[in-house]
Amino acid sequence: MTWLMAAAGSALQVLVAFVSTIAFAVIFHAPRKELFFTGLTGGTGWLVYLLAQAAGSGVVASSFLATLALAWLSRVLSFSRKTPVTVFLICGIFPLVPGAGIYYTGYNFFMGRDAVALQKGLETIKIAVAIALGTGIVQSLPPFLFHRKKR
Amino acid sequence: MPSSPLELPFQMGQVLLENGAEISRVQETMERVARAYDIGGFDVYVLTNSIFATATEDGVSHSTTFRYVPGTAVHLGRIMAVNQLSREIAEGLHTPEEAMELLSDIRTLPYSPFLSRMFCCAVGSAAFSFLFGGSWVDAVVAFFCGLVLEGYLDFAAKKKLSKFLTNLSASALVTLFGAAFFLMGLGDNMDKIIIGSIIRLVPGVALTNSIRDFFSGDYLSGAIRMLDAILVGGCIAVGVGFIIRLLSVLTGGALL
Repeated sequence: MTWLMAAAGSALQVLVAFVSTIAFAVIFHAPRKELFFTGLTGGTGWLVYLLAQAAGSGVVASSFLATLALAWLSRVLSFSRKTPVTVFLICGIFPLVPGAGIYYTGYNFFMGRDAVALQKGLETIKIAVAIALGTGIVQSLPPFLFHRKKR
Repeated sequence: MPSSPLELPFQMGQVLLENGAEISRVQETMERVARAYDIGGFDVYVLTNSIFATATEDGVSHSTTFRYVPGTAVHLGRIMAVNQLSREIAEGLHTPEEAMELLSDIRTLPYSPFLSRMFCCAVGSAAFSFLFGGSWVDAVVAFFCGLVLEGYLDFAAKKKLSKFLTNLSASALVTLFGAAFFLMGLGDNMDKIIIGSIIRLVPGVALTNSIRDFFSGDYLSGAIRMLDAILVGGCIAVGVGFIIRLLSVLTGGALL
């Protein structure tokens, strides 16, 4: 029963990630017909993040794997929807961006806990690098991997 | 064509850059359009905040530069529309005059209405507060912080507040509201409320674009945007930390 509860909890989280990505797509003035698909990339990213965490990865590794999946999906969508990758990537990446890291860095820095602040700051940068590597690697892959051959 | 053959590709590049496209897209789009209209000797160099382009027509060379201070305005709809237009131009569907008219339509593509942006910012804040482990009550509080935040951002944009001041003051404002709600007994975790609310400010666009620039070899632009992301992130951290410290001094360390 516990795993069922956990699965339901994760499904809810993925749904929330889906909704939040769409909210950001609206803030960045994405056209209405692409909103659903931006949500998909955000939801997928978070799903992979949760799976990676469940498999025992740390925050940085999970962010990396999630970004790989998200960037992959963005490229596939960009081909099938004939839309710039940026539209899906920028919106979908928001759930992974290290907002919590920035908060804890600022908090501990100003509360005089320098060691913790340094640690959190470093973690924030690590997550940003993980995200960078994830999107960068997928971006560098050759295009034929992302769309079915025509003809 | 109006004044020079450069006008169309140049303006298309400008719209892309202003609305948050990555460097390689700007460059490729401009080159594609120039090729479609047989503009000779077309050469373009794009940076995060400027475009330099040259071309020759009837043996006369034209050059244009464009400078722009990157703001926070990102309009994905306009990027998409210019992308679509450049495809159609490459297929030979439009004369330069027609394309120019279509481009001016793209320029005036509307922003999402203020109220729906405000609502979305609130929903986003609530959703992230929940995703980062906040309770339902935290999410509701973050929802209200999100409303306040987008309202303030709109005000700051109208007053043309600088980017750093905007981020600094906006994160401070959100922290103030989140902490105030928390001190009144609303919300279970102050940190989750505030984390959810500041995600709107976190430089995700700058970070993403910076990476894309780096990996397509535009190191200078990538570095500019990375610096932008780091500075904005720093501003948010300072805004949050300052208010928390202030409140903790005022309340005698109750905020922990």
